[in-house]
Amino acid sequence: MSRIQIDRLHKTFHRHVAVRDLDLTIENGELLVLLGPSGCGKTTTLNCIAGLETPTSGRVLFDDEDVTAASPHQRNIAMVFQSSLLYPHMTARQNIRTSLAKQKLDRAETDRRISEASSILGIEALLDKLPSQLSGGERQRVATAKAIVRQPTAFLLDEPLAALDAALRLTLRAELVNLQKRLGTTMIVVTHDQVEAMTMGDRIAVMNDGRLEQIGTPDEIYNRPATLFVAGFVGSPPMNLIEGEIVTQDGRTRFVSRDLTFEPKLAAGDAGPATLGIRPQHLHIHAEGRNGAVPVTVFAVEHLGRESVVILEDGGRNKLHALVEPGFAGRVGDRLHAAPDPTHCLLFDRAGSVLSHAAAE
Amino acid sequence: MSIRLSTIWSWLALAVVLIWTLLPLYWFLKNSLLTPDEIARFPPPLYPLEPTPAAFFNIFGLDYEMADGIVRRGSGQANQIIRGLGNSLIVSAVVTVVTLFVVLPLAYVFARLDFPHKNKLLFAILLAVALPPVSTLIPFYAMYVRLGLSGTLVGLIIVTLTITIPFVTWMLIGYFRNLPQVERLARIDGFSRFETFLKIIVPQGRSGVAVAAVIAFLFSWNEYTYALMLVNGTTANTLPTAISGFLFQHPEPSHLAAAVALTMVPPALVAFFLQRHIAEMNLVDPVR
Repeated sequence: MSRIQIDRLHKTFHRHVAVRDLDLTIENGELLVLLGPSGCGKTTTLNCIAGLETPTSGRVLFDDEDVTAASPHQRNIAMVFQSSLLYPHMTARQNIRTSLAKQKLDRAETDRRISEASSILGIEALLDKLPSQLSGGERQRVATAKAIVRQPTAFLLDEPLAALDAALRLTLRAELVNLQKRLGTTMIVVTHDQVEAMTMGDRIAVMNDGRLEQIGTPDEIYNRPATLFVAGFVGSPPMNLIEGEIVTQDGRTRFVSRDLTFEPKLAAGDAGPATLGIRPQHLHIHAEGRNGAVPVTVFAVEHLGRESVVILEDGGRNKLHALVEPGFAGRVGDRLHAAPDPTHCLLFDRAGSVLSHAAAE
Repeated sequence: MSIRLSTIWSWLALAVVLIWTLLPLYWFLKNSLLTPDEIARFPPPLYPLEPTPAAFFNIFGLDYEMADGIVRRGSGQANQIIRGLGNSLIVSAVVTVVTLFVVLPLAYVFARLDFPHKNKLLFAILLAVALPPVSTLIPFYAMYVRLGLSGTLVGLIIVTLTITIPFVTWMLIGYFRNLPQVERLARIDGFSRFETFLKIIVPQGRSGVAVAAVIAFLFSWNEYTYALMLVNGTTANTLPTAISGFLFQHPEPSHLAAAVALTMVPPALVAFFLQRHIAEMNLVDPVR
């Protein structure tokens, strides 16, 4: 178990900057998710923590001890790779045993650990099969057993569920969280799937273009995104973003877009181009026009059972998503009005930083 | 009619290929079982009426008494054949082992590591493969005479390696590249690069290793051009050149056929035991 600190980590490949001056602390026993689009530097960060990559500059500390120069094995981390990488020519048991090959344990202890790990993962019956004889989910469990058998200081998981089908992902991500909480070992999971991040993480670190955009609990990330990128990346269906401008007139600050005028509580001096963000569940649909509503046309209706998603088109042909009751009767082409709930509107400045959390005020 | 035209064509193609390859084999195997009289007959018999293994005894210098009491004398070429067989086995075995030693790490490094001028070096290997052996024959010969390597097994082994190493490297690069990327996993498990190669990559790539061995073996077993030039007529003579000696001696076609049949035995055994690996191996263009 270990507290992991990343101190001004910088990593470039040739001339491409993968990670820029990243500071991050992962608390002991925490499950942190590194979330971001592909190429954002999250896997490079994980590899630097693992010791598979050497940072261009910056340090990695395990429990305040500098391990930047230590090998992966010296750091005693365990890693599960994308698509549950295993040695293809070894049985599940041999794969798990290889984790302990350099641990200098006696045979009895090795066997005890293997049987313990396989009973935790429920893979006793699979131990003598080759990876090619296992299903995707079984391989994932074997890879996890291979990781926990070493009793590592931290688990590092690189897109552990990406190659699995949707139903299995759902089961296994709950299993992984359950396992991490039972063992109490620090875990870092890399994913590009925001649903996975939201459901698994104690905290989520959202990365973009080599930078940390925001770190916080799933609740903070979802409800109080610090940047436009986080707001747009997290949440499904995605947050509606409406381009506009903040103008100050007669001592009152207003957000003005093509179809919408909205009066947020903002300090003067924020004037300039801005983006309004509103979650689909806070965009209310009305048949009649009213103040603060955007005239829209129904583009598509997606019925999800518990609720429906209406995709609307405003005058500027921008798509807006709204969550509605399952009984929603609108048809494609219907002319309606969409009104953002002012208490849930977020405003972002030109650089993408949040200006106000209307809900909090 | 349920049989489709394409099926008929594939059967037809298969038949042509089989006749093309198997008919000559059949013909000399048949000849090796005939007596000289039968071979001389016209039209030639299509199959051995009374097959006799006499030729197979004769080429090892042994006399063979036929059922009718006629004794067929051992061949005067027997010493050449026996020595050639021994030399060929030595050369092929050494070439195979040395090729594997050099090629496995070499192909692995080309397949998995990045280093400066990698593609240029790759093309240098390809160039070595593309060069016809005849083109280097005279330089090699001139060099060998000065170095005292002509007429020696060591010399023949070295020259054969200049063919097998680039060729097998080229083949294996694509194979290694297609193996799962388990190196990071091995680093997490605490293996050094060399240990990873030895304990993880080689066992995992045993099909490739087997095929590399087969190719190297067959190449040196069948090698004729260099052997003819560098060792023919010396104590380092190999089987293919020894057999060609039959062409210039008192003609004994059944002995020639029996000796050729003998050269087929090791490659046939190798192919039989390793064919599964050859089928498994997935050759890919190493330059992508």
